Amino acid sequence: MNQKISKKDISKLLDELGKEFKVFSPSRESGVTTFAEWDGRDSSFLEWYRNTVISPKAQLQPLYEKMFSFHKDKEGYHLELPPPTDKKLIFGIRPCDAKALMIIDKTFQDTYQDPYYLDKRKNTLLVGLGCTNPYDSCFCTSLGLSPTQSSDVDLMLTDIGDEFLIEAVTDRGIKLIKKTSYLKEATKTDKSKAEEARRQASSKVTRRLDTKDLAKRLLSSFDDQDFWEKVSNKCISCGICTLLCPTCYCFDISDELVKKEGSRFRSGDSCAFPVYTKMPMENPRLEKWRRVRQKVCHKYEFYPMSFEVIACSGCGRCIRLCPVNWDITQILASLPVKVKA
Amino acid sequence: MTNREAEQRLRDEAKSLLESAKVDYIVGFADGSLKFHTTPLITRNKDDVDHLVINPFMASNLAKFLTELEGRVGIVAKGCDSRSIVSLVQDNKVSREKVVIVGIPCRGMINLSKIEQLAGKESDEIDDITRQGDKVVVKLDGSEKEIPVKEVLFDHCLACELPTPKEYDLLIDEPIPATPDEEASQAKINKLEELSHHERWRFWQNEFSRCIRCYACRNVCPACYCQRCFVEEAEPQWILSIPKWQDNLIFQIIRNIHLAGRCTDCGECERACPVNIPLRSLSKEMYDLVGELFRFKSGMEIDAAPLLTHYELEEAEDFFR
Amino acid sequence: MAQDSEWEPKLVGFLCRWCSYAGADLAGTSRKKYPANIGIIKVPCSGRVDPLFILKALRLGFDGVLVSGCHPGECHYQTGNYRARRKIALTKKFLEYMGIDPRRLQASWISASEGGKFTEVTTQVTKELKEAGPNELFADDK
Repeated sequence: MNQKISKKDISKLLDELGKEFKVFSPSRESGVTTFAEWDGRDSSFLEWYRNTVISPKAQLQPLYEKMFSFHKDKEGYHLELPPPTDKKLIFGIRPCDAKALMIIDKTFQDTYQDPYYLDKRKNTLLVGLGCTNPYDSCFCTSLGLSPTQSSDVDLMLTDIGDEFLIEAVTDRGIKLIKKTSYLKEATKTDKSKAEEARRQASSKVTRRLDTKDLAKRLLSSFDDQDFWEKVSNKCISCGICTLLCPTCYCFDISDELVKKEGSRFRSGDSCAFPVYTKMPMENPRLEKWRRVRQKVCHKYEFYPMSFEVIACSGCGRCIRLCPVNWDITQILASLPVKVKA
Repeated sequence: MTNREAEQRLRDEAKSLLESAKVDYIVGFADGSLKFHTTPLITRNKDDVDHLVINPFMASNLAKFLTELEGRVGIVAKGCDSRSIVSLVQDNKVSREKVVIVGIPCRGMINLSKIEQLAGKESDEIDDITRQGDKVVVKLDGSEKEIPVKEVLFDHCLACELPTPKEYDLLIDEPIPATPDEEASQAKINKLEELSHHERWRFWQNEFSRCIRCYACRNVCPACYCQRCFVEEAEPQWILSIPKWQDNLIFQIIRNIHLAGRCTDCGECERACPVNIPLRSLSKEMYDLVGELFRFKSGMEIDAAPLLTHYELEEAEDFFR
Repeated sequence: MAQDSEWEPKLVGFLCRWCSYAGADLAGTSRKKYPANIGIIKVPCSGRVDPLFILKALRLGFDGVLVSGCHPGECHYQTGNYRARRKIALTKKFLEYMGIDPRRLQASWISASEGGKFTEVTTQVTKELKEAGPNELFADDK
């Protein structure tokens, strides 16, 4: 039941999909690599795309989004909600970024169902693309992921040279294949080429993270101030690692007011900023080591305690983009080893 | 001195500074966890100083850490870093007696993005990058490519006016004279100045549309040491915390004006930006304006008065009615 | 307020309390006409004016900003206007580099006895802003 598509036909495929969905594909038109609306012509991403700086999570939780507008008149206050979301299709999402969405789904579906995120989430189809050339900062394999396969997408594509092998993962994926042109039947050779490609890509992920008893080790090092001061001393408390992380989801809400009308927005926030926990009487994370400890423990200890999954998919953006080359895998590898009985 | 000899000398000096308790901390560069990257090393432990390195990838401005660390600090400083330290001393933010400046004469730092563009590959796919005099040799896929060093140094290194620190306690290697190439380093700015007013504003509007307000530009900057930045004010709220391009742009304009006379053109803001906004095109312009209008160069004379505390009886009057 | 068919620029003036604000008062009490386009904010000294005020005014939609203080050498606080001069000069040149019409930031030295000068300056600045057109710098593109 496997299909395949020639790379030369990808543009045409995206155009066809564009009739039913708003299609997003990797792009660097804006000056940084991100997912942008398919413009109908530039499929050069097939050559340069390894992974984007701005993860596709930005399609579900944008840099900033309007929650509602309001204005006041003689009758009182009126609220205007944003228009309903279009159906979207993200073409080329990597397994790490797809897993990340599954990880943050748990937060947005917890005691409160977040309508802004969930509305977009259910209206977005994911067409995954397996890696061929992971970065040296990638460490997805240590977190139980594969760089080439994913159960978190609707369709999974594997690069077999001049073509992509296509496998449906969900019912939505099956439906999508049924109505798509440009597909051919895949042969046994194609399938073995795909297996070989997967093997090669996985072997290129060399960075490792030991997750055995990680939560326990973090718990027992929690009060080791010397350790945390040492690992945090070069952090500059900017927001790069958190704002670009596909499994981070913290947001701030602000109002923009102009006389009697305005809008309420939500935008990204970061626990790395000192003001994140600032309150009138005190700031419990005034010192930098507390904030760094919080970030590490939240992702590898507290989140698994609440949702049984580590809030990290090994995409490596935090390592690649940090201005001072702070490295989470090094920090975790240097945890004092004692485990509380 | 070769690089190896200089590194060894640096490690020996750093060790003796800690052992003789002349300093509480040593701040320098160590090898990073990514190829062709260094990372700041901040340590009280004399065994850690064996990790100190000197190489063409030491882009960070370590003076940033002086305003955070308590105690006496032995700090590794290239020419531009030493200017930032002097600027902090001028501002009375750091006391000169508490800093031991270990000067490293600098031939310029290699800009990985420029190498990546010329090589057509990203840095983790490149096998080796070495500087040989005025050439840089890039080894990739079994072949070697020679590039003139001027094409791969950072723009701010091309304009460097002080490769060897003027203010220092120790100098690790022979002084290097300044050979600034203003023309080459100004290329991006000159292009902008050819645009009309309207086009320039549209350019910046476009660039700042992708700013994510990570504040890396502010946080890497040694001169941005305010405990409470104007963006954090809520009463009155000067700019929204939402990353709309208007507020992103105002943030950067005001940041540059607030830094006038204290920015030493170290280029860290542009290097740190994760979304490739050409921030140096703003900071260098301010740097040049300060030089043109008030003949002031930040961080050059330790006894000079900071720019905005000084005034001449007659100056800059041309547009006052 | 009746709907004007002709657009009028909105100008904000930061006037120092000791000289320029007093000068503006004098213009008023002498019954000298000056354009109603200016909204005045009193500051203790022109040196108080942070470039942040100027940018905020432009962000809010004002078409122009005027900063006015005592003549150099006559500052009530001795040196405040010298600081202002450095800051405003840098701000003005920097904003021009960014692409902002230089007519939108203007400055003057007006003493407490120069009611006439205040009238002239505001009239002249308003005229220039009318030529510069409405401030669309921070408008959202549709």
